[in-house]
Amino acid sequence: MNPAHENVVSTLTNYVFPNDLHVHWSMMIALYPYITGIVAGAFIVSSLYHVFKIESLKPVSRFSLLFALAFLACATLPLLCHLGRPERNFNIMLTPNPSSAMAGFGYIYGAYGLVLFLEILFIFRPTLVHLKGQSSGLMKIIYRALTCDSSNLSEQSLELDRKIIAFLAAIGIPMACVLHGYVGFIFGGIKANPTWATPLMPVIFLLSACVSGVSGIILAYILIKSFRGQYIDLECVKTCTKFLAGFFIVDFTFEMLEIFSHSYLYTEHYHMVDRLLAGPLYVSFWEWQVGLLSVVPLLLLGILCLTRISDASYKLLASVVSFMLLLQVVFMRWNVVIGGQLISKSDRGFTQFHPEWFDKEGILTAIVLMTLPLIILFVLSKIFPFWNEEDKDLNRKEVGGT
Amino acid sequence: MESSYNSHVKRIIGGIVIAAVLGFLAKVVMTPESFGVYGHYRADAIIEEADREIRHWTNASCSSCHAHEANRHSKGNHKTISCEFCHGTYADHIADGKKVKTLPVMTGDEIKTLCLRCHNKAIEARPEDVIKTVAMPDHLKKQNVKETHTCNQCHYVHAPLEYINQAIKITGIKETI
Repeated sequence: MNPAHENVVSTLTNYVFPNDLHVHWSMMIALYPYITGIVAGAFIVSSLYHVFKIESLKPVSRFSLLFALAFLACATLPLLCHLGRPERNFNIMLTPNPSSAMAGFGYIYGAYGLVLFLEILFIFRPTLVHLKGQSSGLMKIIYRALTCDSSNLSEQSLELDRKIIAFLAAIGIPMACVLHGYVGFIFGGIKANPTWATPLMPVIFLLSACVSGVSGIILAYILIKSFRGQYIDLECVKTCTKFLAGFFIVDFTFEMLEIFSHSYLYTEHYHMVDRLLAGPLYVSFWEWQVGLLSVVPLLLLGILCLTRISDASYKLLASVVSFMLLLQVVFMRWNVVIGGQLISKSDRGFTQFHPEWFDKEGILTAIVLMTLPLIILFVLSKIFPFWNEEDKDLNRKEVGGT
Repeated sequence: MESSYNSHVKRIIGGIVIAAVLGFLAKVVMTPESFGVYGHYRADAIIEEADREIRHWTNASCSSCHAHEANRHSKGNHKTISCEFCHGTYADHIADGKKVKTLPVMTGDEIKTLCLRCHNKAIEARPEDVIKTVAMPDHLKKQNVKETHTCNQCHYVHAPLEYINQAIKITGIKETI
């Protein structure tokens, strides 16, 4: 092609309405459910120990809460980058609108953030009180604030904490489910988009949230422990992996069932969804999301859960599977959010999406937004000890070894 | 400070209550006065929007000075296209009835880019009977002109087929797109 014409020739297919040319909900809107999903999934890992008393998950029970908090702190940043005008974000609180689906997310997010933060404060209280005694300067001020300037660790006080923790963890589970189910509902509630408007959307989003959250915990646990040269509790990793396998089997089944149902029923607009999956999304959906990042991890999870392999291999395979499933969920979010918008409302053509590197909602912003929770997690590690064994002596001395 | 077994809980609850009260006060103070008069929005926004300076003044404003161009434009195939679509906004050109700036004139590749914004064959959303679209540089090859030719070397931009039709009339050569 003559270079003079390159800028003006785009590669659209068939009949696309002019207002469908641009993909308005860009990568940031794909990142938003991804980060929120990790929050909900990580919280569920913690609740499995705190509510359902799965003892083998104790090593990651506290870490997963902080992991959830670090990602929760960044969950709405993609929305701010997308919308612009960050100073207006509190308007949903100042002028609450009960009929706005998006404002509803703000309320659920705010309430869930409070529950999560309170649960962390109560669970870490004995540790924080202990650290308050050892610290000085700024750290002492932080610990005094976090312990509400109370150093009372009497049995009566800890018993009260245990009751509050049980209550917060118990209401935290439905709230975490609602938080991410709601994100699915926001997409599922958009009637105009044939790939989103399905009642299964909240279910699929919730299950993929559990997958990404548990994967994130497994990968972070193994990586941080290996990096620090500390002991990795294999029983804990194995239990997490089993839950991951369970969540992922159901998640993947629902993802495929949804397409199968539409395909068999040949529902309205399906001819477009079919052509979307066979055309513009063929590589990212069938090859990456389904093939490489779902079928292969399922086989690997089968090996991990059903066969006996050496401990070193187990850790390596569990990390690989977790990484692949974290990517699977990224592809799933991409294919739903970006993919869904490629269909023109004409039902006769597809547009294209070209991510920019240095755009307000570009690839660089996405990288920064995904790095930010990890930086926050690092800062949190300086205040809250991640692992129970780091204050084992403290546990024995002050909480009676629980 | 000596703390009882539940003083941290009391302080947390106290903190939440204070935050809620402050939040409520913020809501009272910061909610715009005209909010909710007509619906879930600031009623004053309607007046503010209506008071905005007008930037697009429509073709009638342009033709009051540029009568020659307006006359030819009104008879050509571009008669439904707003002047400001290609030339820029009226407000950048005229303020308080006086010329403040000359609007940019497209030349060379700029004009090609401008034309192909609508006439690009790749945009198949435009039915052929409504708008002519061309693939570049095929169109130039078919017309036996250089690939460096710009659109306005053959097409008068205000009435794109005016010269073409005149040429057809004079020479009898049939048009091929």
